[in-house]
Amino acid sequence: MIPIEILKKIVSDGLDFIKAQKDISDAEIFASSLSHLLSRVNYTSSIPCNGVEEPKSTLSYGVGVQAVFKEGNKKRMGFGSQIGDISIDGIKSAVEKARLSAVEDPDFYGLPVPSANSGDTLLNSELSKVSPELQRLMDISDEQLVDLGWKALEGALMTFKEHKLTESIIVGGDISIVQERMAIASTTGIAAWDEAANASASLTAMIESDNAKGSGWDIGMRLSDFAPENAGKSAAMSAIHSRQGRRVPSGKYRLILGPQAIADLLCHVVLPSLTLSVVDAASSTFLKKYGQRIADKRLTIFDHGAMPDLPMSRRYTCEGLATGRTDLIKEGVLTGYLSNDYYRNKVLKDPSSKDKIGAEPAAIERAFAPRNGFRPGESMIRNFMGRPSIAPTNVIVEGSEITPLDDLMKMIGEGIYIGRIWYTYPINGLLAGDFTCTVIGDSYIIEDGRMAAPLKPNSIRIADNIHNLLNQVIGITGDRKPALLWGASEVIYSPEIAVQDVSLYCIGE
Amino acid sequence: MIDIISNIKGRIGEFLTTYTRSLPNCHYADIRLEINDTRWASAEDGKPKAAGRDEGGSFGIRVIGGGAKKAPGYYGRIFGLKDIDKLKELIKEGLNHAHARALANSKNKERLSVALEGFGKTLWDTQLSSVEIHRDTVPAIYQIAPGTISPQEILRLSEEASKRIKGLSGIQFNDITVYTQSIGELFISTEGALIDQYFAYTQGNVYVVASGKEGQQELYEYVGDQRGWEAVSEGVNVQGMNLLDFSMRVAKDALALADAKPFRSTEKEAVVVTDPYFNTLLSHEVIGHPTEADRILKYETAYAGRSWFFRNFNENFIGKQVASPLITTYSDPSLPGYGHYRYDHEGTKGKRVIHIDRGILKEFMNSRQTAALLGAEPNGSYKATDASLVPLIRMSTTVFAQGNTDPRKIIGDVSDGYYLWGMHTPSISESRENFTISAIKTYRIHRGELKELYRGGGVSADSMSFFMSVDAVGNDFKIYPIANCGKGQPMQTKRLGNGGPTLRGRARVVGGG
Repeated sequence: MIPIEILKKIVSDGLDFIKAQKDISDAEIFASSLSHLLSRVNYTSSIPCNGVEEPKSTLSYGVGVQAVFKEGNKKRMGFGSQIGDISIDGIKSAVEKARLSAVEDPDFYGLPVPSANSGDTLLNSELSKVSPELQRLMDISDEQLVDLGWKALEGALMTFKEHKLTESIIVGGDISIVQERMAIASTTGIAAWDEAANASASLTAMIESDNAKGSGWDIGMRLSDFAPENAGKSAAMSAIHSRQGRRVPSGKYRLILGPQAIADLLCHVVLPSLTLSVVDAASSTFLKKYGQRIADKRLTIFDHGAMPDLPMSRRYTCEGLATGRTDLIKEGVLTGYLSNDYYRNKVLKDPSSKDKIGAEPAAIERAFAPRNGFRPGESMIRNFMGRPSIAPTNVIVEGSEITPLDDLMKMIGEGIYIGRIWYTYPINGLLAGDFTCTVIGDSYIIEDGRMAAPLKPNSIRIADNIHNLLNQVIGITGDRKPALLWGASEVIYSPEIAVQDVSLYCIGE
Repeated sequence: MIDIISNIKGRIGEFLTTYTRSLPNCHYADIRLEINDTRWASAEDGKPKAAGRDEGGSFGIRVIGGGAKKAPGYYGRIFGLKDIDKLKELIKEGLNHAHARALANSKNKERLSVALEGFGKTLWDTQLSSVEIHRDTVPAIYQIAPGTISPQEILRLSEEASKRIKGLSGIQFNDITVYTQSIGELFISTEGALIDQYFAYTQGNVYVVASGKEGQQELYEYVGDQRGWEAVSEGVNVQGMNLLDFSMRVAKDALALADAKPFRSTEKEAVVVTDPYFNTLLSHEVIGHPTEADRILKYETAYAGRSWFFRNFNENFIGKQVASPLITTYSDPSLPGYGHYRYDHEGTKGKRVIHIDRGILKEFMNSRQTAALLGAEPNGSYKATDASLVPLIRMSTTVFAQGNTDPRKIIGDVSDGYYLWGMHTPSISESRENFTISAIKTYRIHRGELKELYRGGGVSADSMSFFMSVDAVGNDFKIYPIANCGKGQPMQTKRLGNGGPTLRGRARVVGGG
């Protein structure tokens, strides 16, 4: 990893170079250093295996330059990046690529300008001091990485052993350490830097002969209290509890959706539809819905990239703007969008936006606050090789009226607790809102207001419409838990939500 | 630029051999190195949006090392062209990390083989099945080299396609993205392999939102091939259309669908006829994925899922009937298209793998490690989407084999049923035992003729019952590109080929919720 002081210096020096270029009216220089370390677990009790299959890492660093080129009265915007060269030569190379590929985009209204509370002194070394905990995550050794994988596996296997289960066991998943550093500076006054790291464990355990599957997660920002063995234990215990699962017939059911199920639905259907670029492309399922009730009035969903101690919190976006809270759905009403500076400006100035949003954009400018301008790439959000797009950070789901889980199950009476779903897709396109997925574990049949038996994994498919689901809420619990999703960078914190009249189909008989 | 590989391969090979000799308990090592040059542009609603050129390199290292229980360790890095002169130092650093990880992994494996008692018995001494060692150079296939096309030229094509679509009445939004890419790959192992392969890819993506009598309709399709610029400029691709014609076809389909009524799900199974474009996604999801040996061996339990073909060595479908005798399926990297290559990413020569032979389950795609575990011959299916990432078992080109029935007769013989055309979106169950795949267009068939067009229709079925129900296979075999198959942790999004002929079977046809 490149030290943060070097990243800060190059974006600062790079600005001096830019200012000497006669054909450039404005520019933004972004530099980042990224590392993703991962210890992938694969254990099978009946097939020879490695236990820890892949202790590995990927490392990259470089610069990305967005520049506005003057050409008579025209302005052309270009982007170029340079891998592996944190020097003025690297900046020059990126600028040259930007120059050669610049386009006259009529929807580009300028580079971001600092928000009220953004802006650092780039070379202020006092601010550069990192906490000892962050430093430990940044300095993790090869041996520590490997050990974390084995700890997670040991946690799961010892739990099975304690329950005298030794046959047909599968344990899979990974321990993941993400390390990011970035600095950004622009001719419009942006000057910011940030560094962050987090550790996560995501484990799946199975007793395959019993068709029993369980999951366990842990995520944190401190190596000292990161315990992947607990994720292994949770996954094993959940698998143990889900043995001898039963089938249910096709029909309409009352469901309690657990945090992972809520997170999967948000990640694949709801959050994309609340992303301003998707609304601008007229493909959101919430077109023309601003200010309208799109969900049960007890339901609130917000993104918060600055919440202390949450793993996806960052001080600044990749546009150098302050992160913060964006209310997406407040008490059931659509109140905001995930946005970056480019789409905020485009929507505010494009006459066709009113029809897509369902309100006059200028009157609701706060709904487009650019707090999510990140550069996603390979499990991280600081990729110097791309221009800022839009990505969620920490997404929080909460209810205004809290119903304890036991009471919720009593209200349900007969139904199903859905703990983990898979392959959720808007099957007829995002616009339509139709989705389908299968239930793969951590799920239980509710009878007489209590969890009566496990649901057999891979035995039902959910097929419904997201609008039905959001508006058929029975109740919401109070305890938010984080869910990590395969292939997604955001972390979603959700309670359980009970919904009625959801269509389930029996499969795989 | 990607020719750099031919200049450095000798040096890197010598360094790998020499340096790994100095690493204690290093039993095997390989390096995969890649250099790429991508030029791209996009336009939206007739307006230019962006253009660019990305060039760079990456490498990935595997070391198998340790004592009584050998284990793997990996390292990956992305580098810039300026790093070429110091590549040996970067690779040395990577070898040290991969070696340290392999040794730590081996040490833990040895300790836990004892400490975990019964659980320790399956912690094996890592082996790779032996393969023929190759030293070869494989050129790219193209007429117009990607390296000769500027981002501005790509932008002109994108903009023109986008403008033409915008001119159609009822089009609400459109986005066109085009890229053309050269890749050079190098594989070197301590066993003596030294292979450099070169590839060209070109693709155009078309996204359209249309408005019509029945509401709004979005459609996303792409056209491309493992070829040069001619794939989009001259229509040298399976669709036989250049980007301008292809994007216009997509836009007109979106407009027709916006006027079509939404499909309402059938209560019971119906006769379904699926075209080669739809069967591209079907062969991908329900034949290709469950015949990958890493799923067979449970590696993907936490991510992409297992396979209903194989519970364990005692309970599985190998040698048993899983489909109608009319169905044969296979993967073959020698076929043209996105899935074409000569060697995989551990230097194994790719070969045709028959998955289902006239209804009977036969072979799986594998790597050297999974081949050793399964007692099979390595078949060259171990691929990564970038050299910095660890390879996975991946489809090359996985297809339903051609049949002998005219597709017009397949439809003509149906009294009442549905014809599903084009691939849209899949949702597959964890072990691939059940699937829902939506089509771009759904037509009712009545008395052997196509009738009303619907939108939002798809096939939903248990995999085995659908394959057993197939009673006709067409003679209209086609291979289409799949541009975005996700697998692995971190997720690797891969290009590959799928396809087949028209099929007729029985399934529920499902619509919107």
